Amino acid sequence: MIVGKKIEDGKELTKTKKLGFFTRPKYVYIPLICQSDRDITTIVKKGEYVYKGSIVGKRKGAYRLPIYSSVSGTVVDFVEKKHIDGSLVKCVVIENDFKEKLEEKQAVRKSINDYSKQEFIKRLQECGIVGMGGSGFPTYLKYNTSKKLRTLIVDAVECEPYITADVSLIKEKCEEILEAIDAIMEINGIKECFIGIKKDSKIIELLENYLGTYPKIKIAIVPNIYPMGWERYLVKYVKKTNYKLLPLEKGIVVNNISTIYAIYEALKYNKPIIERIVTFTGEMLKSPQNVYVKVGTSVRDVIEFIGGYKRNKDVVIIAGGPMMGKSIDDDDFVVTANLNCVVVMKEQKKEEVLNCFRCGKCVSICPSRLSPVLIKDSLKNIDNLKELRPEKCIECGLCSFVCPSKINIRGCVIEGKRKVFKERGDTK
Amino acid sequence: MKDFHVKIGPFKKSDNSTRRTMVHLLIALSPIIVFAFYKNGIIPYQKGYSNFLEMFFPILFILLPTLTSFITELLYSIIFLKKKNDALKEYLSESFSIFPGLFLGLILPINTPISIVILGAFLATFVGKLLFGGFGNNIFNPALIGRLLVVSSYALVMSESGGYLNAYEIDTIASVTPLSNAVSGIGSYETLISPYGSLWDFFLGTIPGSLGETSSALCILGFIYLTITKVIKWKIPTTYILTVFMMTYMIGSINELGVWYPLFQVFSGGLMFGAIFMATDPVTSPTTPIGQILYGIGLGILTVIFRYLTPFPEGVLTSILTMNMLVFIIDKIGAKARFNFKQALLPFLIMWFLIIGIGGFIGNHYQNQEPNVDPDFNIISKEIRDNQTTYVVTQKGYSGILKASILFDKGVIASIDIISQNDSFFQKIEDNNYINKLIEDAQRLENIDAVSGATITSNALKQMVINTLNDYNRDMANEQNFSVLDHYIEGDNTIYEVSQKSFQGNLQLRIVFQDNIISSITVIKCEDSYFNLIINDDYIQKIITNQQKLDELDVVSGATISSNSLKQAITNTKKEYQKDYAK
Repeated sequence: MIVGKKIEDGKELTKTKKLGFFTRPKYVYIPLICQSDRDITTIVKKGEYVYKGSIVGKRKGAYRLPIYSSVSGTVVDFVEKKHIDGSLVKCVVIENDFKEKLEEKQAVRKSINDYSKQEFIKRLQECGIVGMGGSGFPTYLKYNTSKKLRTLIVDAVECEPYITADVSLIKEKCEEILEAIDAIMEINGIKECFIGIKKDSKIIELLENYLGTYPKIKIAIVPNIYPMGWERYLVKYVKKTNYKLLPLEKGIVVNNISTIYAIYEALKYNKPIIERIVTFTGEMLKSPQNVYVKVGTSVRDVIEFIGGYKRNKDVVIIAGGPMMGKSIDDDDFVVTANLNCVVVMKEQKKEEVLNCFRCGKCVSICPSRLSPVLIKDSLKNIDNLKELRPEKCIECGLCSFVCPSKINIRGCVIEGKRKVFKERGDTK
Repeated sequence: MKDFHVKIGPFKKSDNSTRRTMVHLLIALSPIIVFAFYKNGIIPYQKGYSNFLEMFFPILFILLPTLTSFITELLYSIIFLKKKNDALKEYLSESFSIFPGLFLGLILPINTPISIVILGAFLATFVGKLLFGGFGNNIFNPALIGRLLVVSSYALVMSESGGYLNAYEIDTIASVTPLSNAVSGIGSYETLISPYGSLWDFFLGTIPGSLGETSSALCILGFIYLTITKVIKWKIPTTYILTVFMMTYMIGSINELGVWYPLFQVFSGGLMFGAIFMATDPVTSPTTPIGQILYGIGLGILTVIFRYLTPFPEGVLTSILTMNMLVFIIDKIGAKARFNFKQALLPFLIMWFLIIGIGGFIGNHYQNQEPNVDPDFNIISKEIRDNQTTYVVTQKGYSGILKASILFDKGVIASIDIISQNDSFFQKIEDNNYINKLIEDAQRLENIDAVSGATITSNALKQMVINTLNDYNRDMANEQNFSVLDHYIEGDNTIYEVSQKSFQGNLQLRIVFQDNIISSITVIKCEDSYFNLIINDDYIQKIITNQQKLDELDVVSGATISSNSLKQAITNTKKEYQKDYAK
């Protein structure tokens, strides 16, 4: 059963606006972080010249993915900057020489269908392709399997309010995306593909114009509820099936549509994820819009570029969407590959948090079928807590959303999750 | 540098709030309150049973406890929580402070002295809610705790003050709440529904009962409203009412009663109100969907048990308090079942067996007990207090139903009051002083001649008294009224000395068994004034002769109760003997 909530989505703020470009920042700050792993070997030194797409750092442990420069120029410093989770992260500061110079090997172009499966996986790994919908999960891991892949589901749902980055990408790059899907299917022997999308006549019309060439690609219209873009829901809705841990068990791969475009660029231009579309929105911005930015750009620079704030006091800046994003105490944080949205909102009047009166709304709304109110009650009792399986929480925030007493119930579940992981000796 | 504050997400919130929940609850309750005012205030006033000021009594009855609860919580939050100004206002407006008192006013019998109602509201808020730690922390429904406390301390005061009937009902219905009629037996349409009108009256709520509980229609309306606005846990009332319906349907069909019977059970005893407004109290009910279903079914089963197998007809409120204790366990099952439904399979199976088992048991239990009675005769109510028993009975007369109240005092009919009759010849009966004759010659009813010109009516009256006497005798001959005083063996003889409650006192007998049969019966003590009739009739010898087929033995005319007691004593003693010497 799919439970979710129709949330007033605020997408009209940016949906019809033209895509802006901010590709010429004076400095970029490349964060040395890979998923949540900060143990990165730095490859460049101060004063070194780097090309656009040069590797500046590498993860030490498993699932090694390189970290790239998004401009050509000189490494001038290493500083600590705010990350999208609000913590500080070490960044390589590169002064842009505005030449957009590429390393020689990268200038090589190749037909995107002309890959074997091994080459394909290697290329994804080399280009540091990660899930761009927010997870930052290394994409090559989804294809690196001996299991027969049957279905590719492309997530273009964008169920979280305010975000329109994927929509604007489809508008810009529809043809390329479909080409990439076709190539991925051919390389991996995948038989069918569904593009999961909400009912939006303009975008669907646009896709359908090109779909005639690709009979294996179908559009799956999904209901307009949050969190319909969750992998598990999408698989359940489109393929009517459940899985235990990963969709791979059923021969299914789910990719975000932005990730698909990143794969296109990786295959065609050998280009890593160094640029992406980010939605800058919220009622406190003068001109909300989607902006094509470089990874490592300071959000403050982008907001200045698009016209700044409506007012300077009592605003909240959120990295990510309004449901799952984090509020940051400074607008000087940097764009990463998995940042899809920045929201600037009015600061709400402080709401009195009341006692829980056990209305059970958080229980009936939870997509992971958890019982948040009971998790909250069991935080001090680890045995009860384990039975309630808080580790299944996807942090969608619906429990806090529906709570009439305005309790930060998601925070309680996340705390429970941490406790259970700690008990198991899990490092995550 | 701009001033960005760190906030906790999500940054979009729904418009749910406790205040909104409370407002919706009040909206759902308001038609019920208006109806209570109409039925218990305006109608008695219009019919001339109360004066203008008394008309507003029901409003006061709801308002005062509501205010008491509010003030209790206000004082508590000022004194103990040290809240001030805005924080205080905010706290009070969102902590459901008025509801314990409001609900209490709606569920207490209308004739409860107002001081007790106010005390109850105070206890409901203070003991039921604040002592548990305030809003959100109480395990039991506060209003029900308040009710439990005042009912257990002031039961006598409350029952003497007149119970559930308003001034108009006391005069016209002269009975108790519908459900108390169902306690003594399974009942019939005539005893359960007819005294109050039709099933339609039950649905609309023009029947006796507490202020809030009578109108099933308005409760259902409230249910629909609260479900649409997503305020209550709709699964609880739905499963609760369905369970009661299913079980009573079973009981009814075993006893060959129509579908009106389960509907009667569902529409009476405050089931609708309890299920929709009390059982769904968010704080004290399960939060998990499967937990809510189990909770509803559990409430249904408990209510049926309370209604049929205990002498307390108010099963609904007791069931809710009982199930409140189990919420923790039920939620544990419910939370696990969310991941894997199999976890809840066993509880559901148990519930299912309980529904079928208990429904079948009660159905058959009553079927076996149902005596062969005159189909024209019905007992509407029976109230036993000390040595007095008051019956309200009906008997089909010449052109309509005769309704009378018959009072027994220490085994003798003390009075017969005709409540209503429809016969045009009834005047003749009154002229003939026939009713007094019935009272005086209660032991020899067969000998009383009918009133000429009103034969059918006078015979119907006589039959009514006979039927009532039979029922009374059955109660008197009940096993509870029998005891073995002594039991010993002398040679071949096994001797029992027993005591049996009879007409005007205890009857004591010595019964001698020889070779498994009764060889002699001696009366040790007897207080019945008509006992000489039994001696004259040589009735004891007849009993010894016919000891294998006592049922077929006729009673001594003029000493019906005594001969029945005698027979009953023998039957009981035989049972004892068989128990003791089964080998």
